[in-house]
Amino acid sequence: MTETTERLRRTMMFVPGNNPAMVKDAGIYGADSIMFDLEDAVSMNEKDSARALVYQALKTVDYGDAELVVRINGLDTPYFDNDIKAMVKAQIDVIRLPKAETAEMIKELEEKVAAAEKEFDVPAGSIHLMAAIESAKGVLNAPAIAAASDRMIGLALSAEDYTTDMKTHRYPDGAELEFARNMVLHAARAAGIAAFDTVFTNMDDTEGFYRETNYIHQLGFDGKSLVNPRQIEMVNKVYQPTKPEIENALNVIAAIKDAESKGSGVISMNGQMVDRPVVLRAQRVMKLAQAAHIVNEEGEYIEK
Amino acid sequence: MSTELADLNLNRRPVYKKWQELLISRDISNFSVEEVNNIDETIGLFDNEQHLLATGSIAGNVLKYIAIKAGHEENGAIFNQIVTELTNRLVRRGFTHFFVFTKPEYSHSFKFVGFQELASSRFGVVLEKGTTTITDYLMSLPHSPNQAEKSVAAIVMHANPFTLGHQFLVRKAAQENDLVYVFVVKNDASLFSTEERMRLVQEGTKEWKNVFVVSGADYLVSYATFPAYFLKTPDDVIKYQTTLDARIFRDLIAPALNIKKRYLGTEPFSHTTGIYNQTLLRELPPAVQPIVLERKKSAEGKLITATEVRMAIKERKVENISHFIPQTTMTFIKDNIDNLEKRIKKGMKISGN
Amino acid sequence: MEIKNTAIAGTLESSDIQIMLSQGNNGIEIELESEVKAKFGAQINAVITETLKQYEIENAKVKAVDKGALDCVIKARTITVAQRALGIADQPAWEVF
Repeated sequence: MTETTERLRRTMMFVPGNNPAMVKDAGIYGADSIMFDLEDAVSMNEKDSARALVYQALKTVDYGDAELVVRINGLDTPYFDNDIKAMVKAQIDVIRLPKAETAEMIKELEEKVAAAEKEFDVPAGSIHLMAAIESAKGVLNAPAIAAASDRMIGLALSAEDYTTDMKTHRYPDGAELEFARNMVLHAARAAGIAAFDTVFTNMDDTEGFYRETNYIHQLGFDGKSLVNPRQIEMVNKVYQPTKPEIENALNVIAAIKDAESKGSGVISMNGQMVDRPVVLRAQRVMKLAQAAHIVNEEGEYIEK
Repeated sequence: MSTELADLNLNRRPVYKKWQELLISRDISNFSVEEVNNIDETIGLFDNEQHLLATGSIAGNVLKYIAIKAGHEENGAIFNQIVTELTNRLVRRGFTHFFVFTKPEYSHSFKFVGFQELASSRFGVVLEKGTTTITDYLMSLPHSPNQAEKSVAAIVMHANPFTLGHQFLVRKAAQENDLVYVFVVKNDASLFSTEERMRLVQEGTKEWKNVFVVSGADYLVSYATFPAYFLKTPDDVIKYQTTLDARIFRDLIAPALNIKKRYLGTEPFSHTTGIYNQTLLRELPPAVQPIVLERKKSAEGKLITATEVRMAIKERKVENISHFIPQTTMTFIKDNIDNLEKRIKKGMKISGN
Repeated sequence: MEIKNTAIAGTLESSDIQIMLSQGNNGIEIELESEVKAKFGAQINAVITETLKQYEIENAKVKAVDKGALDCVIKARTITVAQRALGIADQPAWEVF
């Protein structure tokens, strides 16, 4: 992975690419990532208009710090090449490939992205990629897909198509997704990239949404794809660190500072050596705490 | 609330039933086979529990059967979504000029999305939208110098085909006025094609230099504004459609061309045309004076009708109608008799208007 | 460039603009319907005209129904309708984007 600092990716909000009202307001809900959809949310006859609309919005609308992602149409569609060109020219952060099944697909995408970067004078390597896993084949090839390119920043599971491919459908307990979730998550972790869980579409089932989000949080997913801005706050709540977690993270960070000031290469805390994963986790906890606005500028927990 | 637009396949009985229920609940009740079969595409907007919230259809260049479920009608977004989708589908089908008939209370909603009202009555309004509007149409018609000071008359004819009866009307009008507009019905659904009818009218009226033969476009006895002329329709619907047709002529076309008279032939046979004439007599004065001429009889005293001509073609007895049609029409029929017969065999209706 | 066929783009939904583009012979003639026409009509027309000029469309009839679209939406819809009317919807003119 090419990124130096890890981004928070708790929420990736889907925005239908041909809907100006939603495209223009996508930045106001505080999603960590905004995913403009040129694929399933856009009918065949409007692929050209969605592409132009998302392009113009990317060029003019201020989306703040959100990571900007676009789901382009698949390799086997006539829209693939133009989608890539438009989004590279617009300097999108991440291009998401739907229905990824092999590492070769990512390589083909990468080649076209590189060519488009050249064509439009966009810094080489600046456009990142992610893949949506939506089939049995994609799940089994997830490790290769995740590691297919230096540009890869994440894998996402897309459960609607996946369950169809598996000859089942979605159930409230999610047992049908267990293997896929774990495969996608392991593939992502092994490649050092992010893992996004699938969408939860029943907006009326708040309890079910919390159950699923708690579950994928427990597994270790970075976050979840969302179809409705109302879900952002709910996910953030699940990902919000607890007071003891923050306490512990602050101690780790203080220990790092101590080690730095002593010029020591070894970080120790409570008589134990603090190794790299612990440091990374502490940094992530503090990022989550800051994003949840539950710590002050010094990083101390704000009592409510 | 998330909604989804989908095609409605009215050939599936449960779908048809759902669709009809929604329309009936919104006081739309004309489900005649002719009207329904005429629909090209129907769409529905569903909520996430698969309830039909709204529907709309297109038939030719007309938006039809648009309804929004009670309780949602204040939701402009639903209306706009339906109209957008129908409009896009019309354009994809090659129509860039379209019409809608609706109740007077909905006229405002359509105006809000770019439609212009052409005519209204107590029962309904007709609106249009598109690349060429009635203003463009009127500007495209030929004019003569100092038209405002001239006496100008109009005749509207289907001319399927052009007969001595039609010619008689044109002759009278040409003799009695400075200028005559002959509007030929545009809709191409008859034995003689639009182009052929235009040509036969032009050839049959060539001797009068003060006659302009023009298309009635989508404004006079058009499939859009007056479908009853082409489809079997209940009387009250005919009355309502002919009223709108008459008002478009009276309020928009006649004033733009300084038309003060409209010549009509009496109509002893066609029920629909009979009602149309009654409506014109009621609606046109005083702005436009209707002049009714007795239907022309042939030398043997038979009433001249285009229907009779078409029957003779079917039976290949064109000699029988030599007293009904001018030489120009006769020549065309003789030259094209095989072709015409083929069209009849293929199912072209010849008994209508 | 020559307009080949009449085309339409955009929707009548909130924050959008529906634009119909067809052949013309008298420069770029725009018929605009908008609730904010008095205040923003000139600006909306300018975005449409400017975009069409980039396609070297000199003569055209434009009928637009605005539902409160931002300039970037107006530009996007004009691009789409122009590409469609020129018969090049699948070959975007990237220099105009």
